Amino acid sequence: MQRLIKTFVATATAAALLASAPMAQEPKRGGTLTMAIQQTPRHLNPAVQSGTATGQPGTQLFASLLRYDEGWDPQPYLAESWEVAEDGLSVTINLVQGATFHDGVPITSEDVAFSIETVKANHPFKSMFEPVIAVETPDENTAILKLSKPHPALLLAMSSQLLSIIPKHIYGDGQDPKSHPANSENVVGSGPFKLVEFVRDQHVILERYEGYFEKGLPYLDRIVMRIIPDASTRTIALESGELMLSGFEENPRNLVRLKKNEDLNVSDVGYAAIGPVNWLAFNTQAESEVSDPIVRKAIAHAVDREFILNALMLGTAGPALTGIHPGSPFYDASVEPYDLDLDKANKMLDDAGYAMGADGTRFGLTVDYGWPTMKPFAEYMKPQLKKIGIDVTVRSSADFPTWAKRISNWEFDMTMDNVFNWGDPVIGVHRTYSSDNIKAGVIWSNTQQYANARVDELMAEAGSTNDPEKRKALYAEFQKIIADELPLYPLWPSPYHTVSNKSVGNAPDSVWGTSSPLDKVYLK
Amino acid sequence: MSDTMQPAQPEPEIQSTSPLREMVSMFMRNYAAVAGLVLLIAIVLFVFVGPLIHRTDPFEMVWAPFTFPGQEGFLLGTDYLGRDILAAMMVGGQVSMAIGLAAALVSVIIGVTVGAFAGYYGGVIEELLMRFTEFFQVLPTLLFSMVIVALFGASLLTVTLAIGVVSWTAVARVTRSEFLRIRELEYVAAARSGSARDLYLIFKVILPNALPPIVVQANLMVGSAILFEAALSFLGLSDPNVMSWGQVIGSNRPYILDAGFAVAIPGFAIFLTVLAISLVGDGLNDALNPKLRQR
Repeated sequence: MQRLIKTFVATATAAALLASAPMAQEPKRGGTLTMAIQQTPRHLNPAVQSGTATGQPGTQLFASLLRYDEGWDPQPYLAESWEVAEDGLSVTINLVQGATFHDGVPITSEDVAFSIETVKANHPFKSMFEPVIAVETPDENTAILKLSKPHPALLLAMSSQLLSIIPKHIYGDGQDPKSHPANSENVVGSGPFKLVEFVRDQHVILERYEGYFEKGLPYLDRIVMRIIPDASTRTIALESGELMLSGFEENPRNLVRLKKNEDLNVSDVGYAAIGPVNWLAFNTQAESEVSDPIVRKAIAHAVDREFILNALMLGTAGPALTGIHPGSPFYDASVEPYDLDLDKANKMLDDAGYAMGADGTRFGLTVDYGWPTMKPFAEYMKPQLKKIGIDVTVRSSADFPTWAKRISNWEFDMTMDNVFNWGDPVIGVHRTYSSDNIKAGVIWSNTQQYANARVDELMAEAGSTNDPEKRKALYAEFQKIIADELPLYPLWPSPYHTVSNKSVGNAPDSVWGTSSPLDKVYLK
Repeated sequence: MSDTMQPAQPEPEIQSTSPLREMVSMFMRNYAAVAGLVLLIAIVLFVFVGPLIHRTDPFEMVWAPFTFPGQEGFLLGTDYLGRDILAAMMVGGQVSMAIGLAAALVSVIIGVTVGAFAGYYGGVIEELLMRFTEFFQVLPTLLFSMVIVALFGASLLTVTLAIGVVSWTAVARVTRSEFLRIRELEYVAAARSGSARDLYLIFKVILPNALPPIVVQANLMVGSAILFEAALSFLGLSDPNVMSWGQVIGSNRPYILDAGFAVAIPGFAIFLTVLAISLVGDGLNDALNPKLRQR
């Protein structure tokens, strides 16, 4: 009977494939894809470098253990199968057979163990593999991760750019992996494409690796990643067909314009794992009035999120009510949204004793922004908060490091900021609120200097259980407290879009966007 | 006695034409310069008297963003935050002009000092000061001012100083060449023989006579300083809390493809102002250096 069903399923699948063949085009092999990346990567090894500038070429050069689809479900990649133990304290990985690095050396469990150790020791996201106490390698194709506690973020941390499998015989030579020469030249990777050339400020050229372990893949012969920082230049290049693919496009005006172009597909599917959330951050320990939660709440009531979404974002983004990205399964939209209410905001400030002066101001605050695209939002705060008597001074920073230095040393009242969730809250969310992550000089740590024992407790608990329902409940309470104490006021998720020419098939749509292997992309 | 004086009367009349009156009449004969002056006066009135009539805070969000000029009662439309561009043009014009004047003043002070000492003393001092000037001359000015603003933060003061510091070299060169010429003239020799001190000679005897080309240079400097401020603002290196024409351009720049007017209007204002200043400068040049014109 079982065999019968199997046969039936097989026949049905074949029939379906045959039927759909004339409709959906069969992926074609060959061709060169030109795509854009927005900045020159520091180097090409995601094992020791975060950020999507490294991630986009890096995920072509290096394979990870798992893939994630657009529905947050893990899929096999270098790991053929995997098993999480009942108690959550060990994970067994079975590697795919016959996988090799670009120099032909087989990929073994030794390399997996080495990669995990390298990432754990060098990657800025310490929480990814922190609970991993040992990686056992009983045979060439099996790796067993031993954990000190259940670690719900682990599977996600084994995907895309978060865990690149790097060759031990290259990087294990005793040199510092962060500055290893093989990070940008003669890269020996494990992924679908190998490096041809990396020229700073110009391009990264990749070429199909013929020995790639996924049979028949990749479809493309070559990928030319042109480094184009200016969004308008990318827009024009996409319109002219010079560029066929560009990920992480977020400029609202360009998006509106590109959506009108009939030769292009503009898709907002994906990127939920990148999880970029924009917010107005407060320095909760500032000398100024902003250290008072009532002032922060009044500001939240005065900032018109709808105006920002409609007038400044042109409807390309929806609201983000909490610091967890709306695309995450843990996002809780039932928190206090702080709708626009100037009367209420004014009354809150009056009641709290911040009297309105004769000149229409109560007190002054500064607002910072770290890069040009954030400037309009910082500028918006000035006239808007004037309405509740706060005289806002916009502080510009000459460059990103200047801003990062100011913010990470807590020399600010308020700042516009954009922080990535990086998949699981354990990786990218906890760092913003955890009281033991208030670190001078470290940007995107808990720069708000926010400390709440209950919040720490909730995060610790949610970070050490694999039960999704339980985690959901814990994060719901967490988000309620944050919304009440308001160390930051979440505004909107960056509307990352993938823009692709209609000639591009299988444009990436995973939760990692274009920072994921492009081995299934083809040209029609 | 009085009879003998009669025939001589027409002669003093010609001589009594003061240099100033002569200059004014020269200037008035240059129609382009007069047009420039009228335009300049109109712009000054617009930015300084305008805000007394049109009392809108240029930072206040008054209407929907990017209202087209002329619609909803907004003569010049609104910008990306829905702020009145007309108000921004008036208040911003004051700032742009103030920066232009202040920066020109800074560059004149530095340039005249360096040029005067170099031209007067000659020798090693001249050599040193001129090498110093050349050092500043070879630096790309916009880049150098960006570095200054980046280092010391974007405020009105740093922007003004940065523009002044990068643009004084022309003044120094003009001043030096004038000093080289004048210091050899007889009245300087006469003053020197009267044991006048160096500083007296430099600032009281030579400088007043070297002023005409410096005035022309300074005048043109105001125009280029306004352009400089706009360039810095365009690159996002200006004080976001102070409205200026460059600031209006800089903050609306991301939306140039969709609402070009928000960038075009301040751009046009800068164009008109710099044109007016250049025309006036040209006329001044003719009027102050009549010999040059006759040549």
